Amino acid sequence: MSQELSVVGKRITQPDAAAKATGATIYAGDLKMPGMLIGKVLRSPYPHAKIKRIDKSKAEKLPGVEAVITPEDVAQWKPFDRGLKDLPMISGGYLVPPDEHILNERVRHFGDAVTAVAAINEHIAEEALELIEVEYEELPFVIDPEEAMKPGAPQISDFAEGNIGKHLSYPFPEGDVEKGFREADCIVEGTFSTTKQEHCTAETAAAVAYLDVSRRINIWSQCQLAHMARREIAHIFNMPVNRVKLMTPFVGGSFGQRGSVCAEPICIALALKTGKPVKLVYTREENFTALESRTGFKYNLKIGLKQDGTLTAMQVYMIGRLGGYMGCGPMSSAIGMTFGLGHYRCPNRAGEGDMVMTNTPVSGAMRGFGNPAIMWGIEQLVDEAAEKLGMEPLEIRLKNIKKAGEIANMGLTLESTYLDECIKRGAEAIGWKQKRGKKKEGQIRRGVGIATMSHCSGAAPLYLDHSNAFIKLNEDGSADLTVHPAPLGQHIWGALSQIAAEELGLRAEDIHIVTGDTDITLFEYGSDASRSTYAIGNAALIAARQAKEQVLERAAKMLGVSPSELEIQDRQVYVKANLKKSIPVADVCYDAIYNFKGECLNISGKCSWEGRWNSPPTGAFFAEVEVNTETGRVKVIKFVTAIDCGKAVNPMTVEGQLEGGMQQGIGYGLTEDYVINKDTGVVESVNYDTYKMPGILDMPETEVIIIDEPDPKGPFGAKGVGEPGMVGVAPAIANAIYDAIGVRIKDLPITPEKILKALEEKSQ
Amino acid sequence: MKQIASFIVNGKAYELAIEPHMLLVEVLRDELGLTGTKHSCGIGHCGACTVLIDGTPTLSCLTPALTAKGKNVTTIEGLAEGTTLHPIQKAFIDFGAIQCGYCTPGMILSAKAQLDKNPNPTREQVKQALSGNLCRCTGYVKIVDAVLAAAETIKKGGK
Repeated sequence: MSQELSVVGKRITQPDAAAKATGATIYAGDLKMPGMLIGKVLRSPYPHAKIKRIDKSKAEKLPGVEAVITPEDVAQWKPFDRGLKDLPMISGGYLVPPDEHILNERVRHFGDAVTAVAAINEHIAEEALELIEVEYEELPFVIDPEEAMKPGAPQISDFAEGNIGKHLSYPFPEGDVEKGFREADCIVEGTFSTTKQEHCTAETAAAVAYLDVSRRINIWSQCQLAHMARREIAHIFNMPVNRVKLMTPFVGGSFGQRGSVCAEPICIALALKTGKPVKLVYTREENFTALESRTGFKYNLKIGLKQDGTLTAMQVYMIGRLGGYMGCGPMSSAIGMTFGLGHYRCPNRAGEGDMVMTNTPVSGAMRGFGNPAIMWGIEQLVDEAAEKLGMEPLEIRLKNIKKAGEIANMGLTLESTYLDECIKRGAEAIGWKQKRGKKKEGQIRRGVGIATMSHCSGAAPLYLDHSNAFIKLNEDGSADLTVHPAPLGQHIWGALSQIAAEELGLRAEDIHIVTGDTDITLFEYGSDASRSTYAIGNAALIAARQAKEQVLERAAKMLGVSPSELEIQDRQVYVKANLKKSIPVADVCYDAIYNFKGECLNISGKCSWEGRWNSPPTGAFFAEVEVNTETGRVKVIKFVTAIDCGKAVNPMTVEGQLEGGMQQGIGYGLTEDYVINKDTGVVESVNYDTYKMPGILDMPETEVIIIDEPDPKGPFGAKGVGEPGMVGVAPAIANAIYDAIGVRIKDLPITPEKILKALEEKSQ
Repeated sequence: MKQIASFIVNGKAYELAIEPHMLLVEVLRDELGLTGTKHSCGIGHCGACTVLIDGTPTLSCLTPALTAKGKNVTTIEGLAEGTTLHPIQKAFIDFGAIQCGYCTPGMILSAKAQLDKNPNPTREQVKQALSGNLCRCTGYVKIVDAVLAAAETIKKGGK
């Protein structure tokens, strides 16, 4: 019998794809219940104001309105931390104060929630909002984090002195950076800035809340971290965790945005006030202003190298803009430093970050979480250093990348890495040798650029990395796998089915995923940090292994051999030495359940997985661009991503993750700019007419290269691949622009205006 | 003041009492329960609400429902014949062109309108036809692959 994998590694289609292709999938916003009300939220037009008076009487009198709630009406419930996560392991303990109420008497950013209504339909709810009179006392506000740090700046939070929400240090400092810089032959440094990228999920935030027969809170929630959202909801509404049932629907995209609680608290408050089911769906404008989007940074980065290109020191100081509430944002500095300073082999590393509160919409996690921001600078400086040292960009990277067995970015052993392969094969695909460093003339100039990265497969050791899986085998040999990842479009159900099926010798379609209900699923940290395939996959693998042992034990008895003599392949238990001797898995399972000999057993397995390893996926990104020197316009002609994500459980979905990452990375690099008016604090980017995310015509020719070498710790060798796809895109484009026209843009996004300005400065 | 209006949606006739201000997306989703049509940006920029009116892709979030009176409206629910999927739907599944699935109905309907008119499009023409539909998950690569493959299947008369 072959030891080759028969299910993992196959391009299977997804169990949920047909429902999505026919419009049958039910998302939160599609849900309808008898007597269901529609919620709407009135939001602040000011960046910072005290609410002096709210007159809701007219709105309450409007026929069809069932509740109008103000900050006063929700004061009975507790403040909360929308970001859900404390990190006891980071920077000597990182606790997020619960700094936000369901509705707030002092609004801290444009779009902050002031009042909410529930009515029998959307039109009446909207009309009711217009009838609410709010008297605001405008307060001084601050948009820019450096301004916010100055003495005398308006104070945003009681606990954040000088508006420093949190100071965070690099969690894995090493050596002595001063010494490292003294030893350097070449030092490069620069100030880089990155933007508050909006996730632009196709579906906006949505929730449905109601009370069940036991008067428990039932909530359909899009949160990626279902069990932690349930914990926070129970805390807010002051009840035991099992008085909250959280159900996860299919979610129309997240990319980190639903890693926080979004529409849930207001929706539940309206359901509790009315005693009726309430649906709350955010508008696109609310998605832009009321939810978290990527944390924007400004940072000074310094790198020291020897004459031969060996790194001697890396140091960074980052200032990040948090917004009016803490949210998920603070960690993005520490985690960005973790990925960035730990990417290359470097003996002396240090980093500090100030995460600053401002009167702007809240910052949080988006795909890559700090990694795209820091690699934006690191990969440009590495290119600068290479040029100074007379080295080739590929050569300097190949010299400094880590090898298996070294300490990886998150302080654990690097179990496997094929980044060298990624660099070599990606370079070949883009035509590096033929295209790089060629003399450029004329109005339209082309160039190629590279960037590399390493990321994570889960949150260990910086955060709890706790997943659970339970699997039971039915009497016909089919299996039910109970897990709670978030179905965000990454096709995690399919991947987990493949892993469990491979271990059990079944087919992927034999595994049914039981999920999406905190009443049924065991604790699950959730789907972020590129962890679902790796961490939940490992839990599913071990649970399946336990069940397999039970199958083999019982089959051994039935066949009159010992369990070690058996193997399962394609639903059949075989005697390895005599393939003709076999029994279907179904027969073993049937005999276990309908057993009249006093040996009844529902074959099952359960695993509580706690991540003690973290196998970083690595990758190399190559851009070929065309720059119009007259208009400043940059066009990406071709983009290649070469990825080491361990064994690709399903190469088709891995490609999908990386191609999607390219789109988000190209947007981050070239067009996506979250504009806030400095004079008024009003957010000007609130929809796709004022915020440009790439459409199909903005996409270049693309190529994805999967190295497909198994990692020792991943389930069947898999590593995480959700986030990596966008990490190196923007710096690869910036480096390609430099190759084309010899100018460096250090603040995102790379707009035509910045290109023209840089060209003008260069010519002077 | 509600008006009685007749609609033909996915080949079936409906008589509905609707407010004149109601948008087609609302009538389809709230009155007929056809929630496959999605509401996403509300300003006609993303294409998630795309339906076909007499075969032409139309943004139902900007279309007053009454303007579709008496016309043939096709939504994503009307594409499969019973349980037999349309070749474009099948290709989207087989090529991994669906991730979160929220833009998928609009994408598939825009593609259908194109293939009905031009059964033999180039890659560039497919991209042009889908340029009004935004997707945040896929990078569009597999979507174009799927539409081109569906065109081949349809040409061969396959299902």
